[in-house]
Formats: sequence, structure tokens, C-alpha cells
Amino acid sequence: MTTARRWWIVAIGVLALLAAPLLVHALPVEDSAESATSLAARIQQSHDVPYSGSAESTGTLQLPASTQFGALGDLLGERTRLRTWWRSADDWRVDTVRTTGESDLFHDESGTTRWVYESLTATRTPNVFVRIPDASDLLPPILGRRLLDGARPDELSRLPAERIAGRDALGVRLRPSDQQSSIDRVEVWADPETAVPLRVEVYGDSYGPTDQPGQVAVTTAFSSFSSELPAASITRFEPPPGSTTRFERVLDFASAADAFAPQEPPANLAGLGGRRTSAVGAVAVYGRGPTLLVGVPLWDRAADPIREQLNSTAGMRHTTSGHFVGTGPLGVLLTDEDAFGTSWLLTGTVTPATLERAAAELAASGGFG
Amino acid sequence: MIRVELVKMLRRPRTWVTIAMLNALPTLVAILLAVTDVGPRSGTGPAFLSAVLTDGTLYPLAALAIVLPLFLPVAVAMMAGEAVAGEAQAGTLRYLLVRPVGRTRLLVAKLISIVMFVLLTVVIVAVLGYVVGMLLLGDGDSSGLVSGVSGTSLTGTQIAQRTMMAVAYVTLSMLGVAALALLLSTFTDSALGAALGALAFLIASTLLLTLDAAAALQPYLPTRYWLAFVDLFRDPILWGDLVRGLLLQGVYLVGFLGAGWANFTSKDITS
Amino acid sequence: MIKTRGLTKRYGALTAVDGLDLDVREGDVYGFLGANGSGKTTTVRMLLGLVLATSGDIEVDGEVMPGAAARVLPRVGALVEGPAAYGHLSGRTNLMLLDASGGGSSRSTRKRRVGEALERVGLSAVGRRPVRAYSLGMRQRLGLAAALLREPRLLVLDEPTNGLDPQGIREIRELLLALNARGTTVFLSSHLLAEVEQLCTRVGVLDRGRLVMQDELATVRAPTGRVVVRTPDADQVAGVIGRGVVHRDSDVVVVDGLDAPTLNAELVKAGLRVSELGPERRTLEQVVLEAAERAGSTGVLR
Repeated sequence: MTTARRWWIVAIGVLALLAAPLLVHALPVEDSAESATSLAARIQQSHDVPYSGSAESTGTLQLPASTQFGALGDLLGERTRLRTWWRSADDWRVDTVRTTGESDLFHDESGTTRWVYESLTATRTPNVFVRIPDASDLLPPILGRRLLDGARPDELSRLPAERIAGRDALGVRLRPSDQQSSIDRVEVWADPETAVPLRVEVYGDSYGPTDQPGQVAVTTAFSSFSSELPAASITRFEPPPGSTTRFERVLDFASAADAFAPQEPPANLAGLGGRRTSAVGAVAVYGRGPTLLVGVPLWDRAADPIREQLNSTAGMRHTTSGHFVGTGPLGVLLTDEDAFGTSWLLTGTVTPATLERAAAELAASGGFG
Repeated sequence: MIRVELVKMLRRPRTWVTIAMLNALPTLVAILLAVTDVGPRSGTGPAFLSAVLTDGTLYPLAALAIVLPLFLPVAVAMMAGEAVAGEAQAGTLRYLLVRPVGRTRLLVAKLISIVMFVLLTVVIVAVLGYVVGMLLLGDGDSSGLVSGVSGTSLTGTQIAQRTMMAVAYVTLSMLGVAALALLLSTFTDSALGAALGALAFLIASTLLLTLDAAAALQPYLPTRYWLAFVDLFRDPILWGDLVRGLLLQGVYLVGFLGAGWANFTSKDITS
Repeated sequence: MIKTRGLTKRYGALTAVDGLDLDVREGDVYGFLGANGSGKTTTVRMLLGLVLATSGDIEVDGEVMPGAAARVLPRVGALVEGPAAYGHLSGRTNLMLLDASGGGSSRSTRKRRVGEALERVGLSAVGRRPVRAYSLGMRQRLGLAAALLREPRLLVLDEPTNGLDPQGIREIRELLLALNARGTTVFLSSHLLAEVEQLCTRVGVLDRGRLVMQDELATVRAPTGRVVVRTPDADQVAGVIGRGVVHRDSDVVVVDGLDAPTLNAELVKAGLRVSELGPERRTLEQVVLEAAERAGSTGVLR
């Protein structure tokens, strides 16, 4: 065997190894003729389909660093590796996997346990309607269904199928028709059989002067997916030896405000309809699909640290109603204190003008519908 | 030939000096932890190190995590870099080849002896880690259960099984470095040059892993999945990265060893 | 035993070995003579399959090299460019490991063969010491022992007496002659004329990669037909012989065309003093120099 032939054998062997995944990737993907509306409707109905899998989400949003927001800054600004086992809406588990540790959410009817390996602590909290988003909100099925909620047929169109987690996923695109929205479009690919979303991409209309409109804000996708019912033992948490278990009534400042603040938000705000499905609470939630407006009433002790944090955030603007920071499609407006010592933290995927208008309307009503 | 290579590896003083040095650091860390009782802040430092303060059962893993990023690959690169170049330098290569030993066979025997060296080293690190952990840090809970990463209780048997799997995984993780150093070793008569070449590649890989701009490259870097042995202690075991890590090492092995074979079998031995 | 045809090795533009046609016969002690850098070692390495020839064919013990290396080399013992061994291991262990490395040798006789080989080269007393404590001569002997381990049919030795003292050189020479007497063919490369002259039955001379001469040593050194007269009376001797004188020094006269007895009688008759008279035999050195000159070169040997 000549030298040249030996090197050819090695080169061909290596190329074959490298090409194998590309070839699998290039295999034709089976699409279906299903309409966008029908697919979106099936996605909405998939909430009790059991599944499990590994997902990864990537956020490009730079949220002001504040302890108040918890892990939200990481979730929206970094890459997050997730694992999930979903038996039903009342029985699931989501792990945030880190290289040398993890924090897990175990959810059941009566509450949610948050396990952090690095500190060996488990924290049990009640289930609430309003809270700061956590890792579970980044799961493609949860995020996808939320974004397609209330979609109108004229907003939807089909996308070509793509292979995601080994499945020929059907794609649907939503372009919000609401003027108030800062979302350019949302793209969701779902499992063809169960219609569980496998990949979600959110593109924002940008606020920042340097950002281009239509840039990706958040993507999340399964890398492996199974629609089999996970074993019940997996979603059940039993404290391991050496760990500490705590019980907490209040999850974060948003849920605290919702439960304890006296305000009763109006039915509509800044032209957006209410979104709350639960019993009354002080936190205002409006909008449809990817368009979301949230107003949290804060008393001074809660608002001041956030205001301080905003003051030291690059790109912060003073507006007529308060402090404003925008990152991608996400706007954060903390209104100046009113006569009763209340500030509103207004945030969501709406235009800055919408946030201003909401602030003005809340100031006029004092936060009482 | 394989047996002869193993005998040569085991009878070389350098093998044992290297293993002793590899074990010195985890032992020192264990002593410091036991004396000061100051662990790394949660979520910092090598894997499992914050957990071993309460339970020495996991110390074999912490010891592995301590030697894995630098010490072990340096040792592997030195051993593999020396494999062919060292024989060439000493002049023994020509006598082996006229003995005759087939060149392909020699290369494979060298690789197997390096893998055996890694396995031996890793097993010793784990066993010594266990002894040191038990003696200095205690065995925590009387139930014999240990908290896994996912907040499940692992029995002693489970811990032992998964530690063995971790040992195997760490050993196989070194295949890429070993094959690269072996490849370089067939190109040069300088053992040190081959070892340094392989180390430069590893350092580049480690650096690129910290660089967001290199995100597209990262899944293909040899060091990318090294720490995936931690995934063995999640529940259920997270196989994805472990499998990817093994496949990646396999591809590096085939590529580097193939190139080493193509070069070595058609090379003029002039040393 | 060794046959090459047009054996050539080029390193880039440099031609190290050029069209070599070696012919080593079974039972030969073949002296492969050449200055350092003439391509001896490259040739030896090609014969053993270490260096791959650019062109040409090699046949060793009836089989094609390097294709049949796995079959041929177990029957060949070799010492290439100095000995080499693992310094931290004993000489005995080195030989055991080397023998175990390849095929074609019996495991059950290994210990005995290693012992015998060490004894043959006079190392049995130090066989258990680590090689790093060996002198250069001892290492050379160990290398020879390694070559002898499997009672090879062919010994390929590159400068085997390097680093040995005169006593050692004589021992090795006797050893090689004894082996040859038992049927081992010896191919010995050297830059030392004397060594080749004392040991070899056939000789090949390499000059800058080309074989300038290859012949039986006996033929080379056969009487030339001339007679050499050593005498204090050179002038008178030359005068008596007259036209037959082909060469004359102060005390040596070389005569052509007369046989020794006739010449002797004439000189005695003339009453001239003769210290020595005999047939002319050329030295190997002369032959080699002449061959090199014919090939258009000077300085074949240092």
C-alpha cells in the first residue's frame, strides 16, 4: 500500500464520520397539508399530553441585574439546559442542568418544590397565578402554547416542516396584529402526532438603537423528546439525606404584590384586554398571545431597590412617567411614586408608547378598575 | 506485543511517579477541607467539592473532578507523546521493528497501554479518594444514602456502580488526547514536542469553550463533554452528553489514530 | 542470501543510495565497506525494512523485502547503528521483552536462549544489572546478544565493533567466525578496512551511494603475477633485471614477467642482497582505492 493510498483511506474514513450526522440532517422531512389554524388549535389542546425530554433555551435579552428578578436574567439572557418529565399539568418536573449541579422544580397540585443541589436545599411554595417566570416557562410546550393563545386566523401561516429531536415537526408562524405588540413574529414547530411544541422562536421589534428589528429574542427547543408517560416516581420529590427543606408562603415580589396589594386593576389597559383567568389579584395582566403587558403595584420598600438598580443600568431613560429600560422586545417601566406611595412596575412585550399609555391610565385610576 | 507494552509501562518508574503526583493534589485538597472545614462557595470549584464536606462518600468523584481538567490530560499527553518518539529517541524503535513487530500492531499496542495507564491512574485516584474521603471527611448520613445531583437518595451500591461508570467514562474521555499525542509522536522524535503539541490543542479547546463566539465549534471540542460524568449522578441519568462525549472521542480516535497509522506505516525510520 | 537490484533511495534532491546491486551468498561473511556517509546505514535500513526504498528490489533469504518482513525478519539478527536498550531494565529483561515482542520465537525456550546469548557475548555476569550502568562496549555486546537470540540464518551487523576494546574486538571476531562456520551468513558493514580484511570472505565497496566493487576477498587478493623484491641494493637489482622492473623505490623493486624462482636465481647469481622476495599481493586498501579511482572518486576511506 502506498503512502498516498493510506492517507486517502484515513481522509475518506474521517469524512464519512463527519458526514454521517449531516446526511441524517439532510434526509427529507415529511410535511403535512394541515392548515395553520388547525395546527395552532391542536397545539392549544395538547396541554395534557404527557412527554419527557431534554431542551435547551437561549435568550439574548439583557435584563437589569437585580436580586428581585431572581434567575430571570439568566433565563432570558443565557443558554439554559432543561430536562423535563410531564405527566399532566398538575404533575411535572423541570430540571435546570448546570455542568456541576442543577436546580429542579417538582410541581404537584398542592405546590412546587424547588431543589438546588449546590446548597442541598429544597424550598416548598404554594402554586400561584402570578409569579416571576422560571425555567418551566421556557419549555417549548409551555412557551409555545402561551404564545399561540388567542391567535387569530389572519395572524397565522404555515412554515415548512423541520426535523427537531428526531421528529418531522410541523411549523406555524404568528405575526401579532395588535398595534401595541413589540413582537415581530413567533415561530412554533410541533410534534406532528401530539402537537406538543418542540421548538419555539421569538423575534422582537427592537427598542434599542443598535438592535435590528426582527432579531431573535428567545429560542427554546427539545434536543430529545418522548411522548411516553414518565414514571410517577420521577416527578415525586423526597428530600435526600443531608439536605435542608424550607417552606415559604411567598415566592417573589410579584406574587407577594398580587396577594397582598390592595389594588384592583381595570378590565382593559392601554387598549389590551385582560388576561387573568384566576381569582382577583392586584397584579394587572393584559394582552393576547405573544403580546403581554404586566403591571405590578409596589410599595416604596419594594420599588426603591429596583429603581436604584434601573438608575445604574446602561441605556436607562427617564420618561414622563418614570424609569424605562428596553432590551429586545421587552420593556420595563417603573413609574414614579404616586400620592399613596405606590409605584407600578410595568413590563411586557409591548411598545414603549404602550407602556407609557398604561402608566398614564393607571395613574388616572389609581390602580382601581 | 500488548502484554510486552503493558509490562514496559508498569515497570517504568515514570509511570508510578506520575500516578503519585496525580494523587497528591486531591489528597492535599482533602486534608485542607478536613482541617479548615471551608468548602468552596456553592456552585463554584470542581464538581462535588461543595458536597463532600458533609459526606466523604463522594470524594472519589471530587478527586476525579480535580485531576480531570489539567493533571490527567497532561499525564496522558506525556505518556502518549513518548510512546513512539521515546522509543525512537532511545533507538529501541528500530530494534522493535526489525524484531519484527508490525508497525500497525505497535501503534495499537501503544494506545492500549496508554488507555490501561489512564484506567490504572483513574482507579487509583478514585480508590485513594474513597479512602481519604472516609478517613478525613467521614461518611455523612448513617443510612448510607447520599444525595444525588437531582435531589434523589442514592444507595451505596448505586454510588459504587455510578462511580465505576464515571471511572470508565473519564478513561475513555482521554482517548482523543492520547490519539493526538500518539499521532504527533509518530511525526517527531521529540517526546516532549509531541506532548506539548497535544497539550496546546487541549488548551486551545479549553479556551474556546469559554468563548461565546466559538459556540458553533464547541460541540466538536475534545474537552467539551469531559465533565459529563457528573450527569451519571443525576436522576434519571442524563445520557445525552455522555453518549455525545463518547462518540466525539471515538471520532477523534479514528481520525488521529488513522493519521498516525498512515504516517507511521509509511515512514522511514532513521532514528 | 541478500540480493538487490537497482536499489535506490532519494531524500528529496539527495540520492543517498544509487542503483545498488548487492549479492550476498549463503555462507558468506560479507564486508560492506564505505566511508561514513556513503549510504551504508541507509542500505542496511532498507534491507531490514526500516527505510523504504525509492525504487529497486530487495530479496532477503529468498523473499521480497519489505513485503515479507514478518516472515523474513525472524530469521535475521540485526545490529543497526549502535545498540539500544531500556536503561532502567536489566540486560536480561531487555532481551526477554524484545524476544516476547514479536512472533517466530518459542516462549518456553526464551529464558534459556536469553541466557545462552548473554553467555556468548560474555555478559552473563552482568545480565541482571540495569543497562544504564553498562559501558559502551557492554551495550554493544548486549546488542549482539539481541541479534543472536533466535539463532538467525543471517546476521546484519552495522559497525559491530564500535566502542569495543581490542580484546573485545577479537572476541567478537571469533564469535562471528564460529557462527559462520555453523552456517550463519554474516553481512557486516564497516568503515574499517582492517576489520573487513581480517573477517570477510566477500567484500562490496560503497562510494557515495554507488557500489564500486564487489568480489571475493580471495580473488581480490590473489597474486598479481608480479614479484616484489625487498633489498638494500635496489639500484643494482633494477640494473640486473632491466626491462622487467615496473616499479622502484629505495628498497623495493617490483618485477613483472619473471617468476620468483628464476628471479631469485638471477639475483643470487649476481651476488645481490635480498631481504625478502615473493609474489605481489595487493592490499585491500589498494584495491579499494583503485576501484574508487575508476569510479571517478577519491577519498572512499577516511
